[in-house]
Amino acid sequence: MKRFTKGLTAVFVLVLLVGVCVGFGEASSKVRIALVLASTTDDMAWSQSMYDALLALQKQLGKDKMELVVSERLGNPVDAGAAIRQYADQGFDIVIAHGAQFQSVVFEVAEDFPKTSFAYGSAFKTAPNVFAYEPLAQQGAYLNGLLAGYMTKTGIVAVVGPVESGDAVKYNYGFEQGVRAANPKANFRIAYTGSFGDVVGAGELAKVHMDAGADFLTGSSQQAVGAVRACAERPGVYWLATDMDQSSLAPDKVLASQVYHWEKLVSHMLDLRAQGIIGGQHLYLSFADGTLEFRVSPKLADKIPADVMSKIEKAKQEIIDGTLVIELPKGTK
Amino acid sequence: MQGIVISDVIIGILATGVRLLAPFLFASLGEMFCQRSGVFNLGVEGIMMMGAFVGFFVTLRLGNPYLGVVMAILAGIVLGLLMALISVTMQAPQGISGIGLHMFCWGLSGLLFRVYVGFITSIDGFKPLPIPGLADIPVLGPILFQHNWMVYLSILFVPISWFVLFKTNWGLKVRAVGVAPQAADTLGVNVNAVRYQCLMLGGALAGLAGAFLTVGQANMYADNITAGRGFIAVALVYFGRWNPVGILLGSLLFSMMNSLQLWIQVLGINFPYEFAVILPYVVTIAALAVAVKNVWAPTALGKPFRRESI
Repeated sequence: MKRFTKGLTAVFVLVLLVGVCVGFGEASSKVRIALVLASTTDDMAWSQSMYDALLALQKQLGKDKMELVVSERLGNPVDAGAAIRQYADQGFDIVIAHGAQFQSVVFEVAEDFPKTSFAYGSAFKTAPNVFAYEPLAQQGAYLNGLLAGYMTKTGIVAVVGPVESGDAVKYNYGFEQGVRAANPKANFRIAYTGSFGDVVGAGELAKVHMDAGADFLTGSSQQAVGAVRACAERPGVYWLATDMDQSSLAPDKVLASQVYHWEKLVSHMLDLRAQGIIGGQHLYLSFADGTLEFRVSPKLADKIPADVMSKIEKAKQEIIDGTLVIELPKGTK
Repeated sequence: MQGIVISDVIIGILATGVRLLAPFLFASLGEMFCQRSGVFNLGVEGIMMMGAFVGFFVTLRLGNPYLGVVMAILAGIVLGLLMALISVTMQAPQGISGIGLHMFCWGLSGLLFRVYVGFITSIDGFKPLPIPGLADIPVLGPILFQHNWMVYLSILFVPISWFVLFKTNWGLKVRAVGVAPQAADTLGVNVNAVRYQCLMLGGALAGLAGAFLTVGQANMYADNITAGRGFIAVALVYFGRWNPVGILLGSLLFSMMNSLQLWIQVLGINFPYEFAVILPYVVTIAALAVAVKNVWAPTALGKPFRRESI
């Protein structure tokens, strides 16, 4: 009986060891990423740009190497906080809360899960296990602004803004400076809907801008698609996109887009984790490392005069070299 | 104000205000019938969302926005029927039922969009329909007669609603069951049937309001496209004191203020945008507080009808 008990114990220990080894093996070979979004994965803007990038990364690495789960419509930070905590509790390696509004809940949860990496943005504040990321939205915005400034026929260029905060502030400042650099006499107009998600409101604001004479419009956040659609109905008007390529919505109107390549940023995070760095870094999307892209719509490329295009390319190079610095308001990093 | 004439700005403000009117008018007039019969339907926002999705989806698939509007109305009727089943037959608390209906519709419209469309795309909705002979009248033409047909219909619904409510036998029944359901019952009025009819009518108009957003205004669908307009419509019923004319005035005030703040921002007038975007709400609340005294409400509003209860 004693031998039987010893044998049983040995088998039990063996099984346990094998299990632990397999478990470790799985944990080290498969990275588990959870994404928390304020809007939806099909908003054609901020949220979708990150979701599509993570899907691309998953395709690149293979589903056996990367698990991806997503929670949508969590604009309320309290609800988002509950989801972030649950994902951390379930053992996810990286929890990405895709919005600056999630800062306080991310820091609160991160303290309780020191081995989990958290990431959020646009932001700059970090913690030992928290990455902050931010697109240098002003860079592509500046190029969009140059394009608008050089090409406007009415001399009126307009922004359909959501709320004056976060990424939108940097984008709008960069855009304005681009417009003014190209065309000091241009009439630059900016207005806000007071919402990130009011698609109908953004469309109405775009219509008012166009009624008042604007022929080049731009704007950030998920509501922008409403403005893109409004532009599609007016002749002689163009839209300049940000976050992602929005030309599928109005192929004859979206002249150029600033595209965020989040997949490269998240891939960098994975590399850092492999080196044992699970947070504490402020990561950027920029032209310099190719995580930002300025994409001219192939269908409309011939609408842009060659000299304008060369000036834009030159400005882009100067931004990369650091010889052209786009000013931001005080307090904005 | 460079490059733009003041008169054009004024015409622009008024024309935009009229264009913004339609969804509020449709939804508020529908909600007015519900509340006049004694049922408080907070699910308007959700029904609008479903109407918006159905209108968009049918137009996308069949290429016919008129059919989209019809199907959105039918969807609204079905959801009104659901609200009636819950709040009239099952006598669940109306406020909670309405919020539940809103959440249900928000989830369902998002799910259907994800499953059957999957990405943001646009449709060919209704184009402006200038009224011959009237659209060219200076000033008044662009303000009133150069919109799509749904805008005209929404304004036309005001006198129609007034007539139905105050000049028809059915309207009298609606008012009776909203004020004294027991008395109406003793006179042979089927209280629950009238409430069912009002909720179905309210649902139809909320569905129409939603369809306007996608087929008549944005020409696309996105998650949570109503962005609170259904709740504003409910508030406008109170502002309008359960009267179509009052609702028209409230909706006009709200829409015009909204249009004004858009133009203030666009023209670069030195006014903080944070105040501009809340202007329609502040002015409407102020007008409600100053102008509307001795608020009368249907006395049976929110109370389920039980034949034996007094």
